[in-house]
Amino acid sequence: MSRQLPRSKVLMHWLIAASVFFLFISSWWMLSLPLPSDIFTYRQLPFQLHKNVGITVFIIIIAMIAIRIFQKDKLIQEQKSRLEKLAELDHVLTYFLIAACCISGYLSSSYSGWETTFWWLVDLPAWSEENDDLNIFFSDIHLWTCWALLAVIALHVGAALYHVFKNDDVVDKMFRL
Amino acid sequence: MTPAQGNGINTKWIGLIAVLFGLLLLASHGNELLKQLVVTPGSAAEQGVPADCREDELEEENLSLLECELLVSNVQIILASSPDWFRPAMLLFSTLGSLFAVFSIYLGMSVVAQSKLGSISLKACFGGLLAIDLLIFVAASNTGPLLRAQYLWPTLLWFFVHATLLAAVITSLSDKQEVAE
Repeated sequence: MSRQLPRSKVLMHWLIAASVFFLFISSWWMLSLPLPSDIFTYRQLPFQLHKNVGITVFIIIIAMIAIRIFQKDKLIQEQKSRLEKLAELDHVLTYFLIAACCISGYLSSSYSGWETTFWWLVDLPAWSEENDDLNIFFSDIHLWTCWALLAVIALHVGAALYHVFKNDDVVDKMFRL
Repeated sequence: MTPAQGNGINTKWIGLIAVLFGLLLLASHGNELLKQLVVTPGSAAEQGVPADCREDELEEENLSLLECELLVSNVQIILASSPDWFRPAMLLFSTLGSLFAVFSIYLGMSVVAQSKLGSISLKACFGGLLAIDLLIFVAASNTGPLLRAQYLWPTLLWFFVHATLLAAVITSLSDKQEVAE
């Protein structure tokens, strides 16, 4: 039987999973809303929510990376199979791409001149004045890192399905609260 | 035969699929809820205010002028095709759908972790999701062609996903009962 993971880690994993799917779907439809102006305010709520969920995901990812680094020191390094090494690479890539998506999205928003208020409570600092070139640059990074993330998530889900159909207990620990 | 296998059925996969589709459904209903909150009757697009298409914004979003103008039409389509009852109905169905999706994630996780199917709760969950899909389908089919084009096909897909899961749970449970007898 696979070892039990801390409940907080399991919850963080599923919270990120739900949030990431929400972010992808919201990004696909909210850009079909009219461009913002004083009159057309359709994008205000979806964009603020998108940014807030993204920043929250970033904070959780940082916490998960910290836990992973801390736990790695404690664990005895065992010999890993090729599949286990691939799984680890997939995890590292997932963490990296989520962080890259969040940071590039925040920077793009920052250079677009739109303010970000974290959950309508805390005004986050703008990095600089409005800059269209940098906004487009970070927006492109945001776009491509997010597409890459979707590909890595597909691999991650595929691997989970593989283990479940194989009926081994590799993924069970991520489902135990 | 392991407890995870039932009578030839690996119950774990039902759990994983319930979690995976539960996550996607939660995101889908959450976004529908948000869309219904944002696209409100009487807002600027419905009043016929022309689109505000500044050149710098068009470049940023990689849009043509026509596309920018059609973004307003997109909102007009939703508002013009929605009968008065549609928005409150969708707000209700999406809220219920989100709750049931969370329920299906929780139950799916229990199935994978314990390799056991909780019969009544799982049947109730997938049955509830199926009922919500049906309600959305009926609601959407009573709107105009523009909204029907947006809602009917994805709702039909969700309906069959939940019907498959419900059938899998019922089959697996009846198989287990036969084995026990």
